[in-house]
Amino acid sequence: MTIPVGLLMALCIAGAFIAVSAKNVLHAVFGLAIALLAVGGMFLYLGSPFVATMEVLIYVGGISVAMVFAVMLSQAISSVDEGEGWVRRALGLIPAVAFLAVIIPILTNHGLPPAPELPAAAWSVEAIGRALLTHYNLVFEMLSVVLLLAILGAIAIAQRPRKGEEETS
Amino acid sequence: MTLEIWLLFAAVLFAFGIYAVVARRNLIAVLIGVELMLNAASLNFMAFNRFVATDPATGQIIVLFIMGLAAAEVAIALSIVVQVFRSRGGIRTDDLNELKG
Repeated sequence: MTIPVGLLMALCIAGAFIAVSAKNVLHAVFGLAIALLAVGGMFLYLGSPFVATMEVLIYVGGISVAMVFAVMLSQAISSVDEGEGWVRRALGLIPAVAFLAVIIPILTNHGLPPAPELPAAAWSVEAIGRALLTHYNLVFEMLSVVLLLAILGAIAIAQRPRKGEEETS
Repeated sequence: MTLEIWLLFAAVLFAFGIYAVVARRNLIAVLIGVELMLNAASLNFMAFNRFVATDPATGQIIVLFIMGLAAAEVAIALSIVVQVFRSRGGIRTDDLNELKG
């Protein structure tokens, strides 16, 4: 069974378009979830079921849900932004189009090597785990420290000020 | 599927992210743009890993690191969003102008 990659790419573009253009931020979060799910499917096509699983778990299951909670905590769900004016949209389109105008000729004019077929054993979870705990062990442990600090920082930033303390701003 | 198609697709996804970061005024929408850009980078790593890497585990591990850092970044950014909403009553980027010269 082959995964229809063109379908995944179209789904991802559609989700990304919703994510950047929806006036309701909650709809934008759902568009992001669609796009990230499609990216997970592409990871599957690129040969890594483990990374695809992690993509769905962390991005769709974790980050998107956290964003939904942040939307609920910061504004009414049904509230619609008045949107951006056309000047603002043009200002956003200029760097995006400029980036594409620079990067597309670079990507298409240089001969990139054709795809070799890799043995399936090289893609196993076993290889990833062995590399994580030997060659990349320091980065792996540092990442856990970073995540711990992020949790502590998120708690410290988001907690309400204690009674008796003045609100500074 | 060639490597070029994957790289072009990732570039398009990255351009979507740039547009969201520059044009949107809601802080969460800006964060969505950052996530799209990070995913485009992950896709590039996975495509290079699939097509040209000598050690196929490396690209996947880098993508896992990107995911971990993205999770940390989102945790911090969303707590800042909640705090900005509490202290200013809105999460528009225009509300945050104390450092304006």
